[in-house]
Amino acid sequence: MLNKILYNTVLSQTLSPCGKYLVAGNIYSQIAIFDLDRILNPVVELLTSDYNKPKHIHTLESGHQICSLASSEKFLIVGTVNEIYGWDWKNAASSKLSKPSWVIRIPSQSPLEQTDVNSLWLSEDEARLYAGCGDNNVYVFNMEDGKLVSTFKGHTDYIHSVSGKNQQLITASEDGTVKLWDSRTGSSHNKLEPHTNSKVSRPDVGKWMGSAAIGDDWIVCGGGPRVALWHLRSLDAVTVFDIPDHGIHVSFFHDDCVIAGGAAKYLYQLTYSGEVKVELPVSATTVYSVLLSTNPKVLTIAGSSPEIDLCTTFNYRDQVLHFR
Amino acid sequence: MGKEDVSAKKRRKINTTSNESSKQVPVDVYKRVVEFEETEAQLRPAEKDAAFFKKICQDIRQLFAEIAELKAKDTNEAREKINAKRIEASLNLVALKKLNRLEKVRTRAGRDALHKEKQRVDSTHLLLQNLLYEADHLNKEVTKCLQFKSKDEEIELVDVEDFYKEAPAEISRPELTKTDEHQLQLARLEWELRQRRELSSACNELIASKERVAAAIAAARSRLDALLPHLRDVLKSTKPLQECLALRLDDKRDEARAASLLPSPLFLLFANASAYSDALGAKTVTVGISGDEDEARRLEQLNNVDSDLVVSNDSDSDPENNDDDQNEKKKRHHRTAKISKEEKADAKKKEVLKKHPLSIQVSVKVPDGTALNLIFSYLLHLKIIVVKFTVSLPKPITGISAADVLNGHCILNELYPGDTGYDSPHPATTYLLNAAGITEDFQHFISELGKPYVWAQRMCGLDFMATVTEDQKFNKNIQLCPSLSVSTVENFILTLKKRLMSRVVLMKELQDLESGKILSVKGDSLSPVRLSGSLTQWQSVGWPEYSQSPSTAFLISEGLVNPNDMLYRAIITRQSAKLVALVALGSDYPKKAPMFSLTLHWNGTHHAGINDDIRDIERVINTDWASEENKQYTLSVQITKLLTCLDILLETTGSSEFPPDKVMFCPVRGRNRVKPYKFLKQGSGLFVQY
Repeated sequence: MLNKILYNTVLSQTLSPCGKYLVAGNIYSQIAIFDLDRILNPVVELLTSDYNKPKHIHTLESGHQICSLASSEKFLIVGTVNEIYGWDWKNAASSKLSKPSWVIRIPSQSPLEQTDVNSLWLSEDEARLYAGCGDNNVYVFNMEDGKLVSTFKGHTDYIHSVSGKNQQLITASEDGTVKLWDSRTGSSHNKLEPHTNSKVSRPDVGKWMGSAAIGDDWIVCGGGPRVALWHLRSLDAVTVFDIPDHGIHVSFFHDDCVIAGGAAKYLYQLTYSGEVKVELPVSATTVYSVLLSTNPKVLTIAGSSPEIDLCTTFNYRDQVLHFR
Repeated sequence: MGKEDVSAKKRRKINTTSNESSKQVPVDVYKRVVEFEETEAQLRPAEKDAAFFKKICQDIRQLFAEIAELKAKDTNEAREKINAKRIEASLNLVALKKLNRLEKVRTRAGRDALHKEKQRVDSTHLLLQNLLYEADHLNKEVTKCLQFKSKDEEIELVDVEDFYKEAPAEISRPELTKTDEHQLQLARLEWELRQRRELSSACNELIASKERVAAAIAAARSRLDALLPHLRDVLKSTKPLQECLALRLDDKRDEARAASLLPSPLFLLFANASAYSDALGAKTVTVGISGDEDEARRLEQLNNVDSDLVVSNDSDSDPENNDDDQNEKKKRHHRTAKISKEEKADAKKKEVLKKHPLSIQVSVKVPDGTALNLIFSYLLHLKIIVVKFTVSLPKPITGISAADVLNGHCILNELYPGDTGYDSPHPATTYLLNAAGITEDFQHFISELGKPYVWAQRMCGLDFMATVTEDQKFNKNIQLCPSLSVSTVENFILTLKKRLMSRVVLMKELQDLESGKILSVKGDSLSPVRLSGSLTQWQSVGWPEYSQSPSTAFLISEGLVNPNDMLYRAIITRQSAKLVALVALGSDYPKKAPMFSLTLHWNGTHHAGINDDIRDIERVINTDWASEENKQYTLSVQITKLLTCLDILLETTGSSEFPPDKVMFCPVRGRNRVKPYKFLKQGSGLFVQY
C-alpha cells in the first residue's frame, strides 16, 4: 500500500512569534515544525540532506485533521474537529509534544456532529479568538479564560474563512455569502453574494466562497466565483481579477496588492487595477494556505501536496520544503 | 815415474843403511818399507814436516842462488864448490822426496779416516730418519684413533635424568656411572638396547595381528563379492512384483544415479527439492533430472583428469589467441581468415556459455491444476544457474490481458524484491565474457539460456554476495552453502506457490474484468450500495502509453511504478462522464496493492495533478486499504471502490445529469471541500468524509 503521506494535504500554516518556526498542519492530524532559521540561513558545513524536512512532526491523538492554525505571543493555537488546542510555544517546538496547555471545546448541538474549526483569527490585541466553524457559526472566545464570549450566527453553510480589521469581521462561507460583522455587537451588518453577480459568478465551479479579507476601503473575496475587489461601502465589484483558477481558497491584501491562490498552477499577486504583478508557480494542486510574513521576510505556500513552497523575495519560488 | 822409482830405490838404500840393525829378516823389502813409512808418517807430526819442507825448499833455493852466483864466477874453485853444492842440493831434493812420500801417506790416511767417519755419520743419520718416520706414523695412528666415531653417538638416548628415573638399578648402577662418564654412556646404551628390543617385539606382535585382521577382511570381502550376483538375481526377480504394486523403486535408483552426475549446485538443489517434494507429496512439487547422462559421465571423467587446469589454461591462453588473431588480421585481410575468426569466436562463445548436459526440472502445482515447470541449468564456465520455465494450464484462458498474467515473463518477475533476473548475479560474469572475447552483456544471451535469478542461485547454494564483499577474485571457486539452499528451496516453493495461486486468482479476476464483470466481494463494506457507473473497457497497455499520460507522472517520479509492472487501462463510464484509470499491478500482487492513476473526462479533463477531487479519490483508492481478509481480491475491491467514489463525486457536483442516489451526511466538508468517500454502515449505509 502506498504511503498516505504522498497524498498529503496541508490546510493551514502559522509562524511562531519569534519567527523561527514554521508550523504546518495536514489532514492526517500531523503538525510539522520547520526550523526556518536553519532553512533561511543555512550553515553550509552543517547542511544535511534533510534540512528542508520538518524538524519535528507531531501527530495528534484524536486523528482529526488539522483545519486551522493560529499563533499568539504565548501559544500555538490548533483548530481541529470539535476542539481548539493551545500549546505553549516552547512545548510545541520541542521534540515531543506533551498535553496541550488548554483545550476549548466547540459547543455543539448533537454529540454525533463533528464541527470543523475551519478558520481561526486572533484579534489584533490578542484578547479574542474567532473560530469559523463547520456548524455555520463563528465562535468568539476569550483568550484569558477560554470562555465563549459570543456566537455569530447567520450563515447557512459552513464557514471557510474568518478575518477582520478595525472592529470589523468578515467571513466567507460555503453558502455563497460573505458577511461583515461588527465584532463588538456580534451582528451582521452587511453581506455580499458574489454568485449572484454575473461579473464574478462561475456556476461550473460553484457558489461557495473560499476566502475573504477586509482592508481599509476594500474587500477581497473569492471562491467558486472569481476573486474580485469590492468597495467596502458601496459593496460593488470594482475589479474582477481574470485569472485561470478553478476555485479560490486564499485571498488577502499585502502592500497595495491582492494575493490570491487556489486551484491553479500559480499564486497570483495582483494590483488593484486587475493586472497580474507576479505569478508564483506552486507545487500544490490546490493552495489552501499562504503565509506571508515581513519579519522574517518569507512567503510559504501550502496545499494539496507534501511540498511547501517557500519564497523569500515574494517574486519567485526559491525553496521547497517537504512535509513527509 | 822412472825418476821417482830411481829416487825411491835410493832412499831405500838410505833406509836400509839406517835401519839394518832392526831388520834382520828382509822378507819383502818393499812391503816393509811401506809399512815403515806408514808408521813413520803417523808418528811424525805433519806441522813439523811442513816446516821442515819449507826449510829445505829455502835451502835449495839458497843453494841454487849460490850455484848461480858461483857459475857467474866460473872459477875452478867455484866449480868445486858448485859440485859440493850440487850434492847438497840433491840431498835436499831426496829429503824433499821423502817428505812428499810421507805427505802422500798421511793424506791417504786422513782421507781414509774421513771416509770412515763419513760412513759412520751417514748410518747414524739413516737411523735418525727411520726413527722420526716411525714417530710420525705413530702420531698419525693416535690421531686416527682419537677421531674414530663410534656408532653410539648417533643413537638418540633418553635424557640422563629420565634414564636414572626409569632404568632399573642393575643397568644404571648409579654408584659407578655417576662418576664415570664412559660407564654412564655404556649403561645408557644398554638401557636403550633393552627398550628397543622390547618395542621391536611389540611391533612384531602388532604386525602379526594386523595381518590376521587383513586376512579376515579379505575373507569377508570375498564373501560379500560372492553375494552380489545373488542380490542381482533377487532384484531381478522382484521386478514383476514392483510393477504389480506400482512401486517406483527402480526409477528412484535411476534418479539417484543420474543425480550423482549432477554438478554440485544442481545436486544440492535436486537433493533439497526432492526431499521437499517427498515431504509435501508429489502433488505440489515434482522434481526430475533430464538431459544426456552419457555426456555428463564423459564430462565428469574429463573433469577428474584435469579439474582446475582447464579453467586456468583457458583464461590464460585466451588473450594470446586474441592477439594472434589480431596480428593475423593486420597481416592479411583475407576473407578466409576473417571467417575462421568468426567461427572461432562463435565456438568460444558456445564454450563459455556451455550448459551442463543435465538439468533439473522442478514443477510446482497449485490445486486448480495450473503448474509451473522450471528448468534449472548450470553454466559450466560462468558458474551460474539459469532458469527457463513453462506454464501448463488445465484449461485455456479467454481474454488477452488475463493470459499475459500467467504466460508472460512476468510470472517470475521480482519474486523477491529487486530480483528481475536481467543480469548475472555473479560478479565475475562480465570478466569471463570479456576474457572469451564476447562484447555483449550477459543480458544478450538471456533469451537463449534462461534467466539467472538470484533465488535460483540461492536455491543451489550459491551465494555471490558473500564473495563480493570479500576481495574480488575472479575464477575463484564459490563455496556452496547447503543451509542456504535448504532454506531457500522451502521459501522459494512456498513463495512460488503463493505467487502462482495469486496469479490464477488474478487471471480469473482479469478475465471477469475484461468481460466487464466486477467480482462482488462478500463482506465488503461497499457491497450494499447500488453502483451507477460501469466498467466498459479493461485492457493491458504498454509502458510508453502509461508513462505518457499526465496522470501517472506523479507515481513515476516517486518511483512507485516501473516498466516491469503489469499495466492496464480501465474505462468506467456513467452517462457523459468517462473515467480512465491506468492501473499498475506490481509483480508481487497482491502483496502490494495495484496503483491507480485516474483521469476524468467530464466538463474538461481532470487528473490528480490539477484537480483535488481526483486526488482525493486516488488517495482513497491507493492508500485506504483496510480490509485484510480479501487481500487476493484487492483489484476487484479497488475497482468497486473506484466506482463508488466516482458516483459520489458526480452526484455531489449537483449536476442534474447525476441525481443524488446515496445518503450523505454533508456533500462537502472542510476548507478543502472534500467529498464523502467513506462508507459507514449505519442504517441503509451512509457516506461521510472522515
